[in-house]
Amino acid sequence: MDRRNFLKTAAGTGVLAATGGLAMPALSQGAAAKTLRFVPQANLANFDPIWGTQYVVRNAAALVWDTLYGIDSKFQPQRQMVEGEEVSSDGLTWTFKLRPGLKFHDGTPVLAKDVVQSLKRWQARDPMGLMIKAIENDLSAVDDRSWKWQLKQPFPKMLLALAKNNAPCSFIMPERIAKTDPFTQITEYVGSGPMKFARSEWVPGAKAAFEKFADYVPRSEPADWLAGGKKMLIDRIEWVIIPDAATAAAALQSGEVDWWETPLSDLVPVLKAHKDINVDIGDPLGNIGAFRMNHLHPPFNNLKVRQAVLTAMNQEDFMRSIVGDDDKLWKPLPGFFTPGTPLYTEAGGDMLKMKNVAAAKKLIAESGYNGEPVVCVVAQDMSATKSMGDVTAELLKSIGLKVDFVATDWGTVGARRAQKTPPSQGGWSMFHTWHAGADCINPSSYTAIRANGDKAWFGWPDVPAVETEVTNWFNAKDQAEEKAAMDRLNKAAVENVVYAPTGFYLGYQAWRKNVTGVTSGPLPFFWNVAKG
Amino acid sequence: MLAFIIRRIITTIPVMAFVALFVFSLLYIAPGDPAAVIAGDQASPADVERIRQSLGLDRPYLVRFGEWFFRVLQGDLGTSIFTSLPVTQLIAQRIEPTLSLMVLTLILAVSIAVPLGVVAAWKAGTWVDRAVVGFAVFGFSVPVFVIGYLLAYVFALKLDWVPVQGYTPIAQGIWPWFKNLILPSITLGTVYIALIARITRATMLEVLQQDYVRTAQAKGVSNRDVLFLHSLKNAAVPVVTIIGIGVALLIGGAVVTESVFAIPGLGRLTLDAILRRDYPVIQGVVLIFSFVYVLVNLAVDLIYTLVDPRIRY
Repeated sequence: MDRRNFLKTAAGTGVLAATGGLAMPALSQGAAAKTLRFVPQANLANFDPIWGTQYVVRNAAALVWDTLYGIDSKFQPQRQMVEGEEVSSDGLTWTFKLRPGLKFHDGTPVLAKDVVQSLKRWQARDPMGLMIKAIENDLSAVDDRSWKWQLKQPFPKMLLALAKNNAPCSFIMPERIAKTDPFTQITEYVGSGPMKFARSEWVPGAKAAFEKFADYVPRSEPADWLAGGKKMLIDRIEWVIIPDAATAAAALQSGEVDWWETPLSDLVPVLKAHKDINVDIGDPLGNIGAFRMNHLHPPFNNLKVRQAVLTAMNQEDFMRSIVGDDDKLWKPLPGFFTPGTPLYTEAGGDMLKMKNVAAAKKLIAESGYNGEPVVCVVAQDMSATKSMGDVTAELLKSIGLKVDFVATDWGTVGARRAQKTPPSQGGWSMFHTWHAGADCINPSSYTAIRANGDKAWFGWPDVPAVETEVTNWFNAKDQAEEKAAMDRLNKAAVENVVYAPTGFYLGYQAWRKNVTGVTSGPLPFFWNVAKG
Repeated sequence: MLAFIIRRIITTIPVMAFVALFVFSLLYIAPGDPAAVIAGDQASPADVERIRQSLGLDRPYLVRFGEWFFRVLQGDLGTSIFTSLPVTQLIAQRIEPTLSLMVLTLILAVSIAVPLGVVAAWKAGTWVDRAVVGFAVFGFSVPVFVIGYLLAYVFALKLDWVPVQGYTPIAQGIWPWFKNLILPSITLGTVYIALIARITRATMLEVLQQDYVRTAQAKGVSNRDVLFLHSLKNAAVPVVTIIGIGVALLIGGAVVTESVFAIPGLGRLTLDAILRRDYPVIQGVVLIFSFVYVLVNLAVDLIYTLVDPRIRY
């Protein structure tokens, strides 16, 4: 019996227990009733949201550091720390003003100089920040509450850049901390967000704790994702790191923890059957499964070979390998952008719907494929990449490609995919990953869609048509222009196979019924959550 | 004896230095890049390279090893690449849960396995013997995580006797500490009990066939005295050896057990560090484990002299 099957069996036993009325423990929590215990998606191994860009760090940082603007559930940037902004008629000068009364956790007021230094640090690490930096004349404080951003050319997506939830977010830190080199980790975690980080209790790999910041002044508008009033109804939040899914499920059932961010789909039936547990979709923006082909070397430097792979692909195979039989959790994706978002498009995505092995073989024959092995590097320690890798290996063999399957771990994939050498000299032909749907709403933070050759993400696609449409999207005057650019971008990306999307999938979150106010979103939002 | 102990402790230094060099070299040639993990999945190659440079990972092997070794000689195990916390602090945070787990497991295992092995040998060929052997086979065959899940389901979820996961420091009370550790200790101890019980049974069978045992029985010495005074002491050397060797098993098993029961111990720290390529942490933990292992071997050697007067150093 392997681990996965054992979990399923244990889950079945758990269902019996739950439905059979077995006494579930209700541990005496005492002081724990005022504390929310949360099992995050991963270990909080470091805590600098600019230095590293892991989602788990971003999620914890959203408690401790506030942002100038916050994205809402309609994907619109809303004011958060700022009272207001003005943009000159030529679009070249932005002037911002802070809300009065904002304080850092050390009791000092939030000043414009803190904002300026924080934005400078963020700029160095963020793709949109770098775009602004490239057209920047000056970024400086005007007075204690105001600062000015002067540009060489207009940047219409300024507020989106400051509000977006993609890591790294433009979190505001005290100037002395924000002066830290963006490639060096900060060691002092002082923000102006609704919770303070309990540094002394932090045991990386085991526990991180946050305490309510009494001086936080939430906005008066209702909370909506990262926008609106972040009212903390809980005094203390403990992140409990539980690496084993079955253990996390058991801890949620026993009441030792209150909220589990990412339950394993195999265990969801057990949790759904439990009378004290709610289960619902976690992040409605989900994930886009992906494998990337190396455009630099044979066989995938040949467009026809890349097109053959897309032509033969059946996304359902990939998605079922990740989410199992639950049809609520996946959708076919004939394109590259997040379904259900305003600019979503399937334009030009027919190749991704074909599932035609015969046509793919014909393309391979026309390509002049020489039998070069496809070095398929697959991280076995991440269930999604392992599942997709197994499906891909079969897919490649079915169309006559020779496969050299390299089963390894994510640490190795992370290093190997940066190699530009030929596959036979330590390089690679393809690797698997996924992209958070929140990153794939539009081109602003969608590194994986870029096709600017050497500067592009791993695989280094070079497709000028894609880059033209990225520029057109950034310069679009209204949503109609944006949508048109996205249509053309999607078509060009599919035709040239920038990468291979394997489908769109969602995941659940689970929480005890005595916890109220849990919402679906691209990250766990703790404001307005209460524990009865 | 004192000279022997001092000599043994001094000889651990080159052993540990060699282990350190070996581990450092192994990590150097192993694939993987902590900078890529830190930078996140969406980072550009240029970002990854900047992080590599800021961490000093682009410097030559000998320079990095030399700096690390010099620091270790001063008692500084370096700083974690990921947490920016001193490795000594990370190990200090984690050593109590792991030591607690190992000690409790050891006590449970020895107190259960030795009597089981003795009884099985005494009742050789009977259903008691077969039951003990069967249990030993079970203990060897079932993966640690399966035993862990089953115990957690029955005793934590169904009966609500103990928590499912976590660790309570001993400073907060013996009972909370024990409640958190009892299931992990039984889980980890199952293999260990099986191992010690089998060795005890085998060595006791051999001893029980010796002439002096038959003589003692013929003289009318009670069964209890024959077993525990005359036989067990003479069977103890291999048992003590296997208990010592078993510490290595405990260290390996602790990685899985600590993950299953979410115990923040050194096993989990090591696993996390390996997956992230957090080199200073891996090196620090390996050094600590090596030191523990060397000390256990020393203790085993000393115990030999107590159980067998013929052994002298």
